[in-house]
Amino acid sequence: MIEYDELEKRMVLKLVYYGPALSGKTTNLLRLHDLLERKGRGDLMVLDTKDDRTIFFDLLPFFLVAPSGLKIKLKVYTVPGQVRHDSTRKAVLQRADGVAFIADSQLSEASNNFESFSNLEKNLAIVGLDIEEIPLVIQFNKRDLPDIIPEEDIKRVWGPSGMPVLMASALEGWGVIETFRNLAELAYQHIDKRYELKENHGLDKETFVLKLTRRPDEAGNNTVKNSIRT
Amino acid sequence: MEKKQKRAENIEYIVGAEKKIQDIITDAEVMPILKGAVKAGASSAIIADAQNKNLWTCGSHPEGSFFTETLPVYLEGEAVGKLEVAGDSKDREYLRGLSGLLIDTIHMILHTNLKRMLTTETHTTVVNKSYEELLEINRKLSISESRYRELAENLEKKVQERTEELRRAHAGMLQQEKMAAIGQLAAGVAHEINNPLGFISSNINTFSKYVSRLKDMVAFYNASLGDSRVPESVRKSSRQKWDALKLDFISSDIEELIKQSLEGAERVKKIVSDLKGFSHIDEGTEAVIDINTEIDRTLNVLTHEIPEGTEIIKDYHPLPGFKCNPALLCQVFLNIILNAIQAKKLTLKLFISTGYNNSRIVIRFSDNGRGIPEEIRSRIFEPFYTTKDVGKGTGMGLTAAYETITGYGGTIEVESRTEEGATFTITLPVKRE
Repeated sequence: MIEYDELEKRMVLKLVYYGPALSGKTTNLLRLHDLLERKGRGDLMVLDTKDDRTIFFDLLPFFLVAPSGLKIKLKVYTVPGQVRHDSTRKAVLQRADGVAFIADSQLSEASNNFESFSNLEKNLAIVGLDIEEIPLVIQFNKRDLPDIIPEEDIKRVWGPSGMPVLMASALEGWGVIETFRNLAELAYQHIDKRYELKENHGLDKETFVLKLTRRPDEAGNNTVKNSIRT
Repeated sequence: MEKKQKRAENIEYIVGAEKKIQDIITDAEVMPILKGAVKAGASSAIIADAQNKNLWTCGSHPEGSFFTETLPVYLEGEAVGKLEVAGDSKDREYLRGLSGLLIDTIHMILHTNLKRMLTTETHTTVVNKSYEELLEINRKLSISESRYRELAENLEKKVQERTEELRRAHAGMLQQEKMAAIGQLAAGVAHEINNPLGFISSNINTFSKYVSRLKDMVAFYNASLGDSRVPESVRKSSRQKWDALKLDFISSDIEELIKQSLEGAERVKKIVSDLKGFSHIDEGTEAVIDINTEIDRTLNVLTHEIPEGTEIIKDYHPLPGFKCNPALLCQVFLNIILNAIQAKKLTLKLFISTGYNNSRIVIRFSDNGRGIPEEIRSRIFEPFYTTKDVGKGTGMGLTAAYETITGYGGTIEVESRTEEGATFTITLPVKRE
């Protein structure tokens, strides 16, 4: 958690999209930006990149207000995937409330996925986060490509871990919101345990997730009253 | 300023840390815009934070009927303050347009500045971290590099030292084998000599007794000749015969001869015994010995080598027993004494002193020979180093001495002045590990 101010009724959360280089982390955020209702979120901020490769991070902020008046700001970040940017990954990973690991489904990328995942394990430990505790979802991206690792293989390998594993094609736009929803659910449970969002702030999981993942066609039913930029 | 720096060092930057509007935009950036609005016709232009606290103000509220346009200021998509532009009610539409222009400009500045700050902060954090990591890596590399350089530098020296050690050890072994062979030979010879020597001494003793009996008998005959009943002619012929055979001289010399023979046999016996003792063939490899005795024994063996006129001055002090292989130790003394003898043929003075000090036995051999030139002094303990003519010296004598003494945890040193002789000092620790 980036910050929690009880007096100002303000909570700032951080979710991080992790994964090997070119696995589609930024594309995931771009798709969320395109697909989700504009109300309740800010614009995607893409920091200077070189040849479309993230060298710092991308940021997509979300906002919601609990019935108690608690303002929750959720910042979703991507890390740079290239091995050389490890220090930046550590800086971005600090105080994360949840991680989506974006794996590349292509058979040729299998070893990169494992390398990046062990890098995540290592860096989580370095920044003082427990991989057993932190909300973590796995997305196998690029399902639209040929020569990809079969879904049953993925399920067999990752199933026993108990982590949600999702198939996606960020390029085609499917599986992206589901990944974000799963991560939001886990993050809610994690935060609720300590801050009792439902008990103290009247914010249940369904509302929390719904507010974050609303599509434009659903927007009419749930108007967000607060000062959110449109 | 100082305080600010201190904070920057102590607080770790967290990507995502919340920022206030005034952290991102400066007076210098925002005031010209507000001033521009007033210049363009607005009465006042104000930027306030979310708590309605004015951050930047320009101009003053108009009197009478006025219009205020209020627009939210967004940061990372979140409303963090507002822009208020006030002016005459009749300029309403104009003021709206002006405010729109203003807020877009402010947003653009905020967005650009925020991006720059995030980039810079991340960059600085990463650079600092990388720099620290590099320093650490560099430190470790320097340590390992210096270790390898040291190894490389010392390698040649180490190889030389080891080679030298091996040469010494090999030479020492050769010397020991030679000693063992000599010892066995000496013991064999001694044994062979001892037997005949035994019956020679014994026979001479018996012979001496027989002779004295014969002498008694002769004396009896001589006394009997004085009897008046003996005819004068017999007495006279006996006298003549006695004189002709020089029995006066013989009877006085015979005892001397026997005495000298016995003394000679005794000396042979002693030499044989010393030879045996020197080779220590009768003893095991280790024995507790008295060093004073061993030095004397060595001198005895060397008797025939020591030139006439040589003066040996001994200054022995009582010493504790020393456990060692006596043959090896005698060899050390032998080699040092031989060197002294060869250093000066005439009027050699050899001082030998022993003493006991600080649980160490100190033995000193000083001569008044030529001395050892400084340039070779460091080499005399080297194997095969010799100043003698080819075939005369092996170059092993002092090497063996050095090996033996250091082998017992002792030291051997040489002091010398050219033409003033040399002093070898040996120290041996009595309690060895």
